[in-house]
Amino acid sequence: MEVFGQLAGGFATALQPINVAMLFVAVVLGLVIGVLPGLGGTSGVAILLPITVFIAHGSLPGSDATTAIIFLAGIYWGALFGGVITSILFNIPGEPWAVVLLFDGFPLAKRLGKPGLALASSFVSSFLGALVSTILFTFFALPIALKALEFGPAELFAVFFLSFATLIGLGAEAPMKSLAMLALGLLLAAVGFDTITGEQRLNFGQTSLLSGISFVPVTIGLFGIGEILASAEEQGIGFVENISAKLGLRDVFEAVRELRKRLRLVLSNAVIGFFFGVLPGHGATAASFLGYGLARQYSKNKENFGKGEISGIMGPQAAADSAGVASLVPMITLGIPGSPTSAVIMAGLFIWGLQPGPVLFIQHPDFVWGLIASIYLGHLLTFILCLLAVPLLAMIMRVPYAIITPFIVVISIIGSYSLNNSMLDVFITVIFGLIGYWLRKMKYPLAPLVVALVLGDSTERELRKALIAGHGSPLYFFNSGLSTVLIVLAVVLVAIPLIRAIRARRRGAAEPAAVAHP
Amino acid sequence: MRPYQVATAAAIVTIAAVAMFDSRAAFNPSAGTAIGDVGARWYPFWAASLMGIAAVIVAYRALTTPQGNEGAFAGRRSLFAVLKLAVPMLVYAILIGGIGFRTTDFTYRIVPQLGFYVATALYMGLFAWWLGRYKIWWVALITVAFPIVIFAIFEIGFRVTLPKSFLYTSGILPF
Repeated sequence: MEVFGQLAGGFATALQPINVAMLFVAVVLGLVIGVLPGLGGTSGVAILLPITVFIAHGSLPGSDATTAIIFLAGIYWGALFGGVITSILFNIPGEPWAVVLLFDGFPLAKRLGKPGLALASSFVSSFLGALVSTILFTFFALPIALKALEFGPAELFAVFFLSFATLIGLGAEAPMKSLAMLALGLLLAAVGFDTITGEQRLNFGQTSLLSGISFVPVTIGLFGIGEILASAEEQGIGFVENISAKLGLRDVFEAVRELRKRLRLVLSNAVIGFFFGVLPGHGATAASFLGYGLARQYSKNKENFGKGEISGIMGPQAAADSAGVASLVPMITLGIPGSPTSAVIMAGLFIWGLQPGPVLFIQHPDFVWGLIASIYLGHLLTFILCLLAVPLLAMIMRVPYAIITPFIVVISIIGSYSLNNSMLDVFITVIFGLIGYWLRKMKYPLAPLVVALVLGDSTERELRKALIAGHGSPLYFFNSGLSTVLIVLAVVLVAIPLIRAIRARRRGAAEPAAVAHP
Repeated sequence: MRPYQVATAAAIVTIAAVAMFDSRAAFNPSAGTAIGDVGARWYPFWAASLMGIAAVIVAYRALTTPQGNEGAFAGRRSLFAVLKLAVPMLVYAILIGGIGFRTTDFTYRIVPQLGFYVATALYMGLFAWWLGRYKIWWVALITVAFPIVIFAIFEIGFRVTLPKSFLYTSGILPF
């Protein structure tokens, strides 16, 4: 098998001392970011992205782009695990994908008095879910990439089109709001020079806008500043509950015993989480809710859910971590981010001078396989650290609000400034922070905006290349079987919520009390 | 929520209208350079119009469907909690770079450029004193320690150059 040889090479890369050291630093940072309620995985990765530029260009001895991606991805793995700690111990989700853990994780810790078991259950199922997903990643990535190498502009545009359609059709929020955010992302990506003709557009005479609106300051604003404003608002309302955290070996053994009883649930949720995570825009958060629903659906004792049922921890955790890993698959193989966090990592690839997509497998196999191997190592490391360091991590919550909140603002501003040494980027971050906070409040989804912003240029380029090749005829997209299938699939996906809405309205006309969707 | 939803949608429609006006050359027949190319303005024009149409539908649905009576904020306290963070953040960003304008022979400064480190010291100190209500020596420690630690990590460690203050140009401080 070719895969095993490649993977062995990947491990040789990932096990180099500098890569192991940076993975360790990243995982610790990720755990801290995961625990901090005002700072999410996406913004954490975005804020630290400028530092990776120095790592990728070898400012540390022996570091290169592979070290940089291992570092960025490691933050994500840490955050995936770390977010649940505060959900279980403090009843505050550290990350959006840890919200489901409030339903059963916190009750198990508080009401049933088993915080150690709740944490250990979450960690073992996260680890198993991630492991399943990484194995699937290892075997699926290369075939997808090799197939994608044959794609022309029509197929590439069809793939982009399909991923936009999944953002609208399968999104949790109202489809029209998703569409508006998607179009806003495409529009922002178009600011500055047109890549084909070199014309200036949407810069309103400002030379500083000619190079376009950069992705990183916008994302740090939308996610970093936006989240911290949202959590400031909650601070105005809420209070913190606190359970002392201790995690003994006995808890781990008990969790493993419980895991064996639920092996089928955890494994099937991991596989479902993988395929869900591969879809664009649906990272760990959506998968965690799906995983909770499935765990409840197929449980024999449904009445225990919400009262500290272990399946209600293991089900969503396996799906969430699996989806988190899987969201890197389309980014690496096709150049399409599966989640906002992988969109940020993809922006990193551009900045380091790499082209995400199938060509990576040919030109930089070390990079790809080093990353894949580091996913195995990163999860093992995160798992061990979680078992050892929960009391330490829980202490981060004791750092007072008056220090941690301005500190997050300060490092957000360092992150957005240092990429281009630009004060304009700092203002973009602050302004998009306010915008992101407000959009979140008005229930506009941010994932379509971020994904469209990072894909906007390539989408336009492939669309126009296809039109040039077809001498202006849109029928060119139906010349190839694959692009026809993808476009039809995309149209169907967008039609689903529309049909559902029309049906609901018909039913609503007969039954005026029906609650309408805002 | 209704007025807020409609106002948000209206703002999006306004942005769409501005972008569509800027891209009106989409209908110029000699737009592209190659046969079949739609030109530079076509794509932003239709992205903006898609955005505008979607926002109009959002506004229409907000007006025609029953909405909750609650405001955008859960009470005055949560509004103030957000403002307490948002306003100092804006001031902080402005202080880092300062505000000024340039004529051919002189630069006028309305707000002096405090640079990253001095602005950060003031910003962190303000929060410690105002929201944290710490004793004065704690406030002083935070004010001094944070910029120095950040300077050591970023400026010396990672060689990231952050904006310097007018005190740096006159040689009083290293930042």
